[in-house]
Amino acid sequence: MERRKTFTESNASNTGSNIKGLQLFIADLRASQQSEEQMKRIHSEIVKIKQHFNASNSKKKSTNGRLLKNDKYDGYQRKKYVAKLTYIYITSNTTMLNDILFGLDEVIELIKSNTFSEKFMGYMTIELLYRHKTVVDKINDAVVTQLIKDISSSNDDFTALGLNFVGVTGSLTKELALNSDLVSEVFQILRSPTSALHLKKKSTLAFLTLLKSENSILADDIKRKQLWIQRILSLLDDTDNYRLTLTTLPLVEYIAKNIDPSYFTRLVPQLSDILYRCIVASTSTTGRTSFPDEYNFANMPNPWLITKIVSLLNVLIISPSETEDTNALFESSLIHTDNIDSETLGKLRVCVMEAINLGTRRTADPMEKIVQNTILFSLINFASKLDPSHEAIVNSATALCDLLNSTDINVRYLALDSLIRLCTFSGKTAFDSIRGKNLELIFHILSSERDSSIIRKVVDLLYTFTDVDNVKTIVEQLLNFILTSRHLSDSHIKSDIAIKVAILTENYSTDPSWYVTISLKILSLGVNTSVKDEEIWIRLCQIVVNNPQLQTLTCQKLLEYLQSNQTSEYIVKVAAFLIGEHANLILDIASVPDLFNMFTEKYFKVQNSTKSMILTTMVQLYKTQSDIGSAVIKFYQLELNSLDIELQTRSYEYLKLIQVSKMSQNMKILDVLFQPLPPFNAKSNPLLKRLGSLPVGAFSSTTALTTSRSKSSSTILNNMKNDNSDNSMNAITTEGGSQGSDTISAPRPPPARKMRSSSTFNDMINKDSMVESKYSDLRMSNGWREGYSRMLQFKQGVLSTASPLLKILYRVTKIDPTSIEITLTFINQTEWEISSLTSEIIASRTNNNPEYFLQNVQPPESPSIKAHSKIEQKFQIVIRKPFSSDESPIVSVYFKCGGSMNTLNLKLGVGVTSTLASNGAVTLAQFIKRWKTLSDAMGKEGEYQSQNISFGQSTNDNDVGSNVSKLTNVVLRMGFDVVDQTTLSQTIFLAGIVHTKSDGNFGCLLKLACLDNGKLNITCKTTTGGTLAQNIVESIVYAIKK
Amino acid sequence: MGVRFILCFNKQGVVRLVRWFAVNDNSTEPQEEISQIYRLISSRDHKHQCNFFEFSDDTKLVYKRYAGLYFVMGIDITDEEPIYPSHIHLFVEVLDAFFGNVCELDIVFNFYKVYMVMDEMFLGGEIQEVSKDVLLERLSFTDRLE
Repeated sequence: MERRKTFTESNASNTGSNIKGLQLFIADLRASQQSEEQMKRIHSEIVKIKQHFNASNSKKKSTNGRLLKNDKYDGYQRKKYVAKLTYIYITSNTTMLNDILFGLDEVIELIKSNTFSEKFMGYMTIELLYRHKTVVDKINDAVVTQLIKDISSSNDDFTALGLNFVGVTGSLTKELALNSDLVSEVFQILRSPTSALHLKKKSTLAFLTLLKSENSILADDIKRKQLWIQRILSLLDDTDNYRLTLTTLPLVEYIAKNIDPSYFTRLVPQLSDILYRCIVASTSTTGRTSFPDEYNFANMPNPWLITKIVSLLNVLIISPSETEDTNALFESSLIHTDNIDSETLGKLRVCVMEAINLGTRRTADPMEKIVQNTILFSLINFASKLDPSHEAIVNSATALCDLLNSTDINVRYLALDSLIRLCTFSGKTAFDSIRGKNLELIFHILSSERDSSIIRKVVDLLYTFTDVDNVKTIVEQLLNFILTSRHLSDSHIKSDIAIKVAILTENYSTDPSWYVTISLKILSLGVNTSVKDEEIWIRLCQIVVNNPQLQTLTCQKLLEYLQSNQTSEYIVKVAAFLIGEHANLILDIASVPDLFNMFTEKYFKVQNSTKSMILTTMVQLYKTQSDIGSAVIKFYQLELNSLDIELQTRSYEYLKLIQVSKMSQNMKILDVLFQPLPPFNAKSNPLLKRLGSLPVGAFSSTTALTTSRSKSSSTILNNMKNDNSDNSMNAITTEGGSQGSDTISAPRPPPARKMRSSSTFNDMINKDSMVESKYSDLRMSNGWREGYSRMLQFKQGVLSTASPLLKILYRVTKIDPTSIEITLTFINQTEWEISSLTSEIIASRTNNNPEYFLQNVQPPESPSIKAHSKIEQKFQIVIRKPFSSDESPIVSVYFKCGGSMNTLNLKLGVGVTSTLASNGAVTLAQFIKRWKTLSDAMGKEGEYQSQNISFGQSTNDNDVGSNVSKLTNVVLRMGFDVVDQTTLSQTIFLAGIVHTKSDGNFGCLLKLACLDNGKLNITCKTTTGGTLAQNIVESIVYAIKK
Repeated sequence: MGVRFILCFNKQGVVRLVRWFAVNDNSTEPQEEISQIYRLISSRDHKHQCNFFEFSDDTKLVYKRYAGLYFVMGIDITDEEPIYPSHIHLFVEVLDAFFGNVCELDIVFNFYKVYMVMDEMFLGGEIQEVSKDVLLERLSFTDRLE
């Protein structure tokens, strides 16, 4: 992009949309070399524009309505002048905002114009100015009124401008999101099947910005949430060119992260399929690719689509290491890695491998290289989630470490960034494989790189995998780096490193004297760092005060520093504080007069804040040994003349104190005022707040660290406690028993700042209740009971014919005594293709020890079904505990057919009786005996009765005999043993064993009495208390009533 | 999540384009933020230093210099950086095709057209369209509208 063109040739896209006056003005400005001259030109232009605007306004007033002829000319002028103001605003680096605000009314006129280029100029200008709250306050009402008009306009180009405005400014101010009319207009474009594609794309992103401002648009209204999310999901049905998918994915990701992920987990197979086709199928040399070619970029698969999909998958999938994290509200709505069906998982793994292949392909094209890296890093970061096995993590770590040798500095940066993510995500396995071989390499990068971005990453990486074993090596390297690095001018980094070293030292050192040595060394560097790192010395003081066994040692070291004259401001502060407090501990090596002289000498070399600390030290020294009194008094008297009010006041007060104590001939007053400091009880290390620049990947990242850190963190302090168990100070410190050391150390995990998901989910009240509410919010489709009842009895059959378009069949297979596999077959009944088919199996509860587990085996094979064809879906259910029929899993199916969108919610006939097994034939005598035994043992416990149950459709049929035989058939199909007897013709005796995985197996006995009025009484006895008996009776009732 | 701002300035620090999608949490004035970014980026060596910089608690910078112009994107601190150089490069390629061998002067004199290009490519902090053909077709249409 060289300046080889002149102004006249520059308008390459010469289409008549140019504005001559504007270009002359710009050319004028460029011609004037002096900035003074330019400002003059700008100001004279502003005056001219003001005059023009005033004139045209008064003209308008006087000739009210008669001016139509000139409108076009006026519009052009207005556009031109506004463009000039905007140019001034931009090139002045926004500083001239206030000089151009007079034109706001004219800008509003522009957006009201019916000429596209004028409207465009108006919106473009306001899009810039909406960054400033003052502007929003002034014109928002007028803007929104016009905005709603434009978005709902029949002119697509105006709609586009309006949506664009929302997409740019929707997150700059809450005002737009709070206007429900505007929100619905934007959504209207998104959902309408007749909207043009480019408008839909704009509307998805415009809606996203509104949502970012106000989650409540969806979060507060559950009906709307369900409905709108369905609409949004249907946008993903764009398999022709994925253009709409690209803009819908960020919206879906935002909702999944911040509002409710439960609607989206069913997308995982579909997304994986797109990813697979994009990465693998489109690059395969065997041709026959179904992926649009134009979507290859720089000879590589579309990196935008890939990163967006991976990013969403990262949100939806939860890996075992994340599951271990205590964040239970997280889990329930997300899909666990081991619950992804093997086909999908297989595809994703192939994608990772292919990305690595592509990433290592040689290429000369720099753009191709950039895209390669994008895809490579994106999938490597994702890989640890898919396959958290030891081997996979080691492979990732090795691959990334290899990239650290790349000649491309950006690759080295990204490799470091990925390594940090891997470490925080995969914990010890990753640490070990990186540290084992590559520690030297990383130290080498630290010492040789000149880029502060890279240095930061190296430091973060080292920080991440430091532990008790390597803390000394790493801390030494880091300190050495601060001392010797000549490349770095960035003082922030030095101070960052100093803070990290301080934290590491505190957390992992097992050797108190090493801790003190290093901490003082960091502080002595203060001279070089020039940044105010108050926290470090304050923290050191706190720890020393709280740990008496460190006091002597620290004071001795401080003395050495003071004597060596290598004293930084911070060392003097610590010395003033600690030696003042504990002077008595080092009297054997330094007398009080010596100390006094030393501080007097330092006093004149330090800042006022340190001086005032030394003044306090003086009075404490006096308290320790009062014969330095006259020197101290002289010193204070001198400082009474200090220009600094604080120093003056302190000197005056301390002087008075000494005088008072001298007069009263005792030190009581000083003893009272300067009692030994009580232990600090700051719960957390204030330094941790300063870790701001450590971006940790996934939220769970910290799991491994948290535990290792909090354990090891206390090592140093625990050791101390043992050494000094009889120390009274320590008793205070360790208040609260063995957790005592936490009062001072309790280091937090490295604070994960705005992590991938942790913060986002914090707002959610309770994830579990959300799932439950989703379960209970679903309205069953008509006729669901028929399929439900059938499924309780038959191994296969029709689940639903509720929709004339889609028929659903089921097949139940028993896998083992407590689990069953269900196959659903979806049959397209129409002449058209069914598309966007997704189906989700929803459990009533998924965490807190749920009654049953769902395990996906195979999702619907494809999202579309050709006319009269069918596809299958498989999943397994493990019954863990007895549960009520009201808690049976629900299958929620969503599909599109011929432009209509359809949802089917069907309850699956799965109940406690699904795992019923027989125990061989039972005779009536056996039955009666068991019944009696149960009654003796349990009494009414574990029994349930239900009376006068009407007999389904055949209520009018009072033929008891036929009822009995019907009923017998039903219960036989359900799996009960029917006692073969003829003694009581109207009663059926049943036995069976219910199998559950967690609670074990239970026997049950039932008596079904058919009454003459066609009704039925059921009594059930079980070998356990609780609700099992009731659950069984309910299932039978459901089975017989359709 | 996504692009927080797009900035373009020349070597002298004159701003050519600015687009905000998000407001920063701290109260830094925009002009102060822009000059900080200019000072930072113009002082970085473009051979020996990478194109990424962690700028503040909520923003990372991804940038690239094309001749005398710096194109800078401020992205969310939690985002993964690798895709953003492609964002910038595609933007420049589309500008190049739209203006026909684009140079700084095109951007100076036709800044409002550059915004038109930006509008078609980036919205809500996300990329909106990545096909150059589709973009150019759409742009030549809107450019011709009266």
